[in-house]
Amino acid sequence: MRKDDKGRIHLKLVFYGPSLGGKTTALRWLYGKVEGLQKGEFTAIEDETNRTLFFDYVPMSAGGRVLFDVFTVAGQKRHRHQRKVVLQGTDGILFVADSAPDQRDENMESFEELKLFLGDSLGREVPIVVMLNKRDLPNRMSRDEMLDLLGLGGNVPIYETIAVQGVGVKRAFQAIAREVILKRMYK
Amino acid sequence: MSDPKAFDRILTEIIRQDKGIKKVILVDRTGLTIANVSKLSYYPVDVDSIGAIASAVFAASEEQGNNLQIGTLEIVTSEFSEGKIFASACGKGVLCVVSEAEVNIGLIRLVMKKQGAQLAEELDKFLAVEASAPAKDRELDEEDLKSALAELERV
Repeated sequence: MRKDDKGRIHLKLVFYGPSLGGKTTALRWLYGKVEGLQKGEFTAIEDETNRTLFFDYVPMSAGGRVLFDVFTVAGQKRHRHQRKVVLQGTDGILFVADSAPDQRDENMESFEELKLFLGDSLGREVPIVVMLNKRDLPNRMSRDEMLDLLGLGGNVPIYETIAVQGVGVKRAFQAIAREVILKRMYK
Repeated sequence: MSDPKAFDRILTEIIRQDKGIKKVILVDRTGLTIANVSKLSYYPVDVDSIGAIASAVFAASEEQGNNLQIGTLEIVTSEFSEGKIFASACGKGVLCVVSEAEVNIGLIRLVMKKQGAQLAEELDKFLAVEASAPAKDRELDEEDLKSALAELERV
């Protein structure tokens, strides 16, 4: 368990997923709209067009001595090494999958990469919650199709979300935060 | 046994070495700021954010070195028009020094190397203590986690 010199417990959560899938949008929505969370500064390492170059970072707390250090990764393929760096020491993953049919391969590749980086710890030591994002797209892939695509069975919490409107985002965040805390309490 | 004040003591020793040093931060490899000291009591910076970036930049440079097979990373120096940032490895952590533009670079490198070794030792003790925390501490941690869980449901 990571602690700072004041004895506060820090848990690291990472939004992972393909490029332009909605990771930063979801984090910005949490940052701007969820009042019950105490938040520090929003740090973004991004390019001129607001595409994430390395990561976004916000420390959050629901109160008390437990803090969530919440990161996103850069989704573009060329930033693979940055993603590996951001994943170091992660306690939980929010995988943001894109429901657009033309993002089928990108979703798969991103999830495969995540499995490669975290190995057997994914879903065991490191809990994962999946957000099926952009559910407002008229031509969205079906839920079952996306779960098949990612090879997910019934034991991973899945949330259908619309990050630009915040639909499902808070619940997905609460779910991963809860999973991570429970993992720390009962491991 | 880990002394909770050990980090502050070592970081303070570093900051006293050159009047141009403004801030010294110790972070771990996951971006967590473990301890920090400033020359001025009021230095308006977001330490958590600086720590997260310092750790990530250092780790990214290490990754770059691994890819290029050019050995072990010793120090990352970032030079700005009005200041410098140095980051070096110290065991399981990264030591970050923020200074004015005009500083004795050789001295800072030397100090970071020397104190970095000491910090690495303290960090090992600190992390070992965390891993084998006494039952009372574990109970307190559990209380904190339970309370966070309850707060989370109320968000």
